[in-house]
Amino acid sequence: MTGWKSPYTDARTRFEHTMAYSPKFSKPVLTARIPSPPFGEFKDRHIVSYDEYVKTGGYQALRKALTMTPEAVVEEVKKSQLRGRGGAGFPTGLKWTFLPKPGPDGSGGQRYLAINADESEPGTFKDRLLMDFDPHLVLEGIAIACYACRIPTAFFYIRGEYHHQAKVLENAIKEAYEHGVFGKQGLMSGSATQNPFNGGKWAVDCYLHRGAGAYICGEETALLEGLEGKRGWPRNKPPFPAIKGLFGKPTIINNVETLAHLPSILDNGSAWFATMGTESSFKGGAPSYGTKLMGVSGHVNRPGVFEFDLGIKLRDLVEQYCGGMRNGKKYKGAIPGGVSMGILGPDQFDAELDFDIGRKYNVLGLGTACPTIFDEDTDMVAVARNISRFFKHESCGQCTPCREGSGWLYQLMSRIEEGGGRTKDLDLALEIATSMGSMPGTTICGLADGNNWAIRTIMNKYWDEFTAKVKPTFVPVRVTVGASA
Amino acid sequence: MAWITKNSAAQKVERRSQPYLTDAMKSDLRARVLPRYENPQGALLPCLHTIQHAYGWVPAQAMLEIAEFLNLKPGDVIDTASFYEEYWLKPKGKHLIQVCRSIACEFCGQREVTQACKDALNIDVGETTDDGQFTLVELECLGSCGTAPAMLVDETLYENVQPANIARVLADHAKKNGHGHGHH
Repeated sequence: MTGWKSPYTDARTRFEHTMAYSPKFSKPVLTARIPSPPFGEFKDRHIVSYDEYVKTGGYQALRKALTMTPEAVVEEVKKSQLRGRGGAGFPTGLKWTFLPKPGPDGSGGQRYLAINADESEPGTFKDRLLMDFDPHLVLEGIAIACYACRIPTAFFYIRGEYHHQAKVLENAIKEAYEHGVFGKQGLMSGSATQNPFNGGKWAVDCYLHRGAGAYICGEETALLEGLEGKRGWPRNKPPFPAIKGLFGKPTIINNVETLAHLPSILDNGSAWFATMGTESSFKGGAPSYGTKLMGVSGHVNRPGVFEFDLGIKLRDLVEQYCGGMRNGKKYKGAIPGGVSMGILGPDQFDAELDFDIGRKYNVLGLGTACPTIFDEDTDMVAVARNISRFFKHESCGQCTPCREGSGWLYQLMSRIEEGGGRTKDLDLALEIATSMGSMPGTTICGLADGNNWAIRTIMNKYWDEFTAKVKPTFVPVRVTVGASA
Repeated sequence: MAWITKNSAAQKVERRSQPYLTDAMKSDLRARVLPRYENPQGALLPCLHTIQHAYGWVPAQAMLEIAEFLNLKPGDVIDTASFYEEYWLKPKGKHLIQVCRSIACEFCGQREVTQACKDALNIDVGETTDDGQFTLVELECLGSCGTAPAMLVDETLYENVQPANIARVLADHAKKNGHGHGHH
């Protein structure tokens, strides 16, 4: 059962997955069934079975949803202003309304839900917690989303490296089929719903689809290519997936955590959801309501996944809940959520973690809200080198600026780190980064843009470290006297 | 360089008499996997997973068999198979050690972990031991950033890895059966 837990772990310095709570809400929402201090002990964590899930109030929200019309469910999610938890923060309810209108019989025809569990951006490990312990919370969210969008088929795209989580989900999906959440003979198909199609009878299939080690398949259209059995090459947009997606049919792609929010929103209403989280810290920005799983890694005493209201300050997160910086060192910088988001500089420790962090602190965005913290001893040139290696490795090779630019950046960063860099390398690096992903994009997907933001913000915010490592170049000037051949 | 062409059509495919994609695998895939997808190509990743899991790599003959099974062109299969890192198109060791080298792991002690693996096995990254037991690679992000450094041996994830324990971990795995990489 605990396949992921290493007997070789050095538990003295680290916790497995730490979880704390925010003063603003009295009990956790997403992690209600995953015991964490102060609500429970780590040792009591276990995979929540179907029976236990139902006993603790599970699948009530789905039943409630089935008494509403699909449009009412969409409306409720829209009113909650839930923003996608996969990184872009796009409003979930709005995304759903992009689907074509259903026919007069209430059927939307064949359309798909793709669940994005290809969590592979360095620093990001939050969805794993839900898949590790509470898979039915996600499955209930899937069933609600499928009902709201009249989707008959859902594909759960999980990354290839998550072996244990794939087994947990496989088993949970089997349980859900046995108990009639999914499938043709189920409880849901037996109960009269407000969906006029097929006399109110309604059935959803949910399948697990394992990826095979490609970061780019977390990009929504590349994910669809992976589901179709092709190379994970992102598609040009438009057409957007909601119009023409998987196998050419309308498709909605949602993150695991986004879907896990749906049951509680349906249970408690959109007004309740807006009591958590925060209005935008940026004047005129859209609010960031609700709680968020935040996976803290790097040089802190107690890294792990925490559930917090959006809008918590990075400093509070680190100092109050992560036990402060490791070995009493000072904070130097942090990546807000996945390496493509850029970096928060030494003077930005007080940044509020909400979806508008980007506009206020000169980073690309909140991303997955999984900060990686660096202490004062960290070599930021090495950080830039590591990140550029990641992007070079994961670039799918379709677009020239990304394929070539990521390789060039990695070579430049390696050279600077090794001490062989020249002053003009810095300008060259910035020029390449900017040419890779300045808006409007020069590439099909956002990978190059992420690479650009990461390298550019690190260089700009730690410029002195870079200039200290490079040497000025003296170009020998040859003067030819007399006639030359 | 587009003007240099390789005569891939004349490439020899090493063949063995019994198929890699067995009848049992085919009937399982036909019953369980194929109906999920609108067209047979959708089932390509699960088919490749099946082969990868059973043999530890994906031989060319197996790709031809998959192409026939799914009614695809062989080129479609190799096009997909060569993109994804989890599919090994060349044989590897019985056990696969994958050390995470991404941001959190590198700055929380990944280099020492890789070095300890190299020392224990006397190979470099990307190599296989002479007895064919272990292949050592580094990969990007295992999703264990909070418990860095992390490594994956076959399907077992090790977190907060202590370099001193690596020899013991590897000795434990050497006793087990291999080819656990990538279940379907």
